[in-house]
Amino acid sequence: MENPLIFEAKEIVKNYSNHVALNKVSIRIPKNSIFGLLGPNGAGKTSLIRIINQITAPDSGELLLDGEKLSRKHIKDIGYLPEERGLYKKMKVGEQSLYLAQLKGMNKKEANSKLRSWFEKFEIEGWWNNTIEDLSKGMAQKIQFITTVVHEPKLLILDEPFSGFDPINTNLVKNEILNLKKKGTTIILSTHNMNSVEEICDNIALIDKSNKILEGSVNKIKEEYSEKIWEITYKGNAVSFANSIWGGWELLKQEQGINNTIKTKIKLSPKLNLNDFIKGIIDNVEIIELNKVNPTMNDIFIKAVNKSNELEPKLDE
Amino acid sequence: MSKVGLIIAREYSSRVKKKSFILMTILGPILMVGFIFGALYLGQQDEEKIKILVHDDTFAITQFINYEKENPNQLTVYDTSGKKNYDDAILDFKKSENYDLLVYLPENIIKTKNSTGIIQYKKPPTAKSLTYITNVINKAIEKSTLQFYNIPKEDYDKLKSNVQFRTIDIKTAEENNNMAKSAIGLLFGVIIYLFIFMYGVQVMKAVIEEKSNRIIEVLVSAVKPFELMMGKIIGIMLVGLTQFTIWVALCSLSITILSVVAFPDMMEAANQAEMMQSNIGNEVTMDNEFADIVFRQINWPLMIGLFLFYFVGGYLLYGSLMAAIGSAVDSETDTQQFMIPLSAPLAFAYIIAINIIGNPHGSTAFWCSEIPFTSPVVMLVRVAIGGEGMVWQVLLSMFLLIITFITTTWIASKIYRVGILMYGKKASYKELLKWIRFKD
Repeated sequence: MENPLIFEAKEIVKNYSNHVALNKVSIRIPKNSIFGLLGPNGAGKTSLIRIINQITAPDSGELLLDGEKLSRKHIKDIGYLPEERGLYKKMKVGEQSLYLAQLKGMNKKEANSKLRSWFEKFEIEGWWNNTIEDLSKGMAQKIQFITTVVHEPKLLILDEPFSGFDPINTNLVKNEILNLKKKGTTIILSTHNMNSVEEICDNIALIDKSNKILEGSVNKIKEEYSEKIWEITYKGNAVSFANSIWGGWELLKQEQGINNTIKTKIKLSPKLNLNDFIKGIIDNVEIIELNKVNPTMNDIFIKAVNKSNELEPKLDE
Repeated sequence: MSKVGLIIAREYSSRVKKKSFILMTILGPILMVGFIFGALYLGQQDEEKIKILVHDDTFAITQFINYEKENPNQLTVYDTSGKKNYDDAILDFKKSENYDLLVYLPENIIKTKNSTGIIQYKKPPTAKSLTYITNVINKAIEKSTLQFYNIPKEDYDKLKSNVQFRTIDIKTAEENNNMAKSAIGLLFGVIIYLFIFMYGVQVMKAVIEEKSNRIIEVLVSAVKPFELMMGKIIGIMLVGLTQFTIWVALCSLSITILSVVAFPDMMEAANQAEMMQSNIGNEVTMDNEFADIVFRQINWPLMIGLFLFYFVGGYLLYGSLMAAIGSAVDSETDTQQFMIPLSAPLAFAYIIAINIIGNPHGSTAFWCSEIPFTSPVVMLVRVAIGGEGMVWQVLLSMFLLIITFITTTWIASKIYRVGILMYGKKASYKELLKWIRFKD
């Protein structure tokens, strides 16, 4: 793989009294990358995140951070923004940011100067002496984000970091995440927001029903799941377009475009390649535009989860 | 600073900076001392002036009344005897604003023992002034009876007996006054009960707050749940100790000031009490007794020392369990079912403390002062009253308390570490037992 690993989980098992939360889940996260941890609700993502944060311990399995066995001394190397988050409502913003930073192992002076510069960056210096009660939800989220990253962790775990932000602030946070990556931080992003996965994740792991069902780089996975689907816009007769080639392809969609064009979406069979298809139609219609349709992470997510659900009853037989 | 230190500091400073804390800490002792001294002051002021119209059919008593008045200003006597008959006296009393009471002494009152006079009123007399008038008139009747039978006063005094007993500890040679001592003990009992309960509930609320505003998950990613719980418990305990220390300081200060400024008599009484030690023959009045108890018979350093120990012990016992309750629920409204088994023994201890005053060394008193769930309140009352062989009992109860709070803290930490991350699940006792057995 490209970079050395910052974090590795090997065969993690976690049982609760009446169910298995994680069933031999292994993940490998390369340094300086953004790792998407995906999965439906209740799949076991939170259990895994809590284990990485040492909030709970796994029943078996091994965890390595930067090559070392994960222990309490690594707390300062990890930053965690939980999905369900909150701050002390009646405590002043500055005071509690300092408190949380110190709990993460910073000294007061260092925490103070780092926090001040983050507050400046987010243009919220004026909030230092306000209480959280005085702030809106979005404002509180910003504070929370800052307190998560202020101690400059090697590994940053963000659970649904964009929920609660408006588009402008979502963008601000997204840029900050990319900035942190540029500076060398590795980020685990747990989210349902598949657009953001496509935009910023390098690698993903998909967990469903306590099992990891998919892992790898986003590009590779997309390739794996890609089908020969193309979007073709042309000028000409729709019937002659359809009759150009017999068999080996499927018309998925056809609609009227602007300036007398027709927009179609086609899927080629494995036997037919694009060149042969083009050869067939090129004499009958004028091609205006041709685009490869890649599977979205959303499609892949649904497909992979459905596939693992289909497998399940077969295993029982 | 260590992480536990940081947590303690936050819990402590966020509380002592609160307006309600500052207000309670300053107003508490002022109210308490003010209340006690206010009652004493009003008691002293209660010498109302009474004007009585006496109709004396014996013609012999009234002349002595004026001699028997202890305080001439307090009682003014108007005598109608011989001038009018009783019915006219009644009319006079009804018409005139001058008299508060009409006292009728029938003719046979001297010859017949235990006869009844009549006092008529427009506004009912207070019990205190009625006692006073009855005393004065009885003494006057006594004098006139002596005169009637021609008995010399000296002879009568020889016959009359007026014996009272004082109870004195043979070892310390100190007078014993169980009632007053138990009152002081009970005061300590009430304060320790309130402190343990109040600060225990604060622990519970603090845990619920962190759980319900969801900061808990961030916190436990930085510190161990046990550290977080202990930091919280210790921080809040220090707030309690701070409040108590300020209360003791303010109380002693205001008692001293008030004693010197408003009640110089009382200080004198204290000095008298000291003298009395060497001079047992002197008569001790009620006021002196109070001062004697407050200034001599209560071992304040011991009481305050024991208070601090039993507060810390009882608070750690109850506070840790309340932390566990706080972790097991989602909001304060869900705490009911768990709070009853905790508040009941504490309230029971308080009731026991009141009831053992009559028998502070009986078996109920003994056991309740040894059982850690009631000992902080009950033992303080028993120690205030004092007695033989208390030392080993106190040491045993301290030992049991320490063992118990270590156990409850351990159990609480087991429940706490699971509870803080559980949402939307209504915990039952069975569930809590299961949590205790969970591995990390």
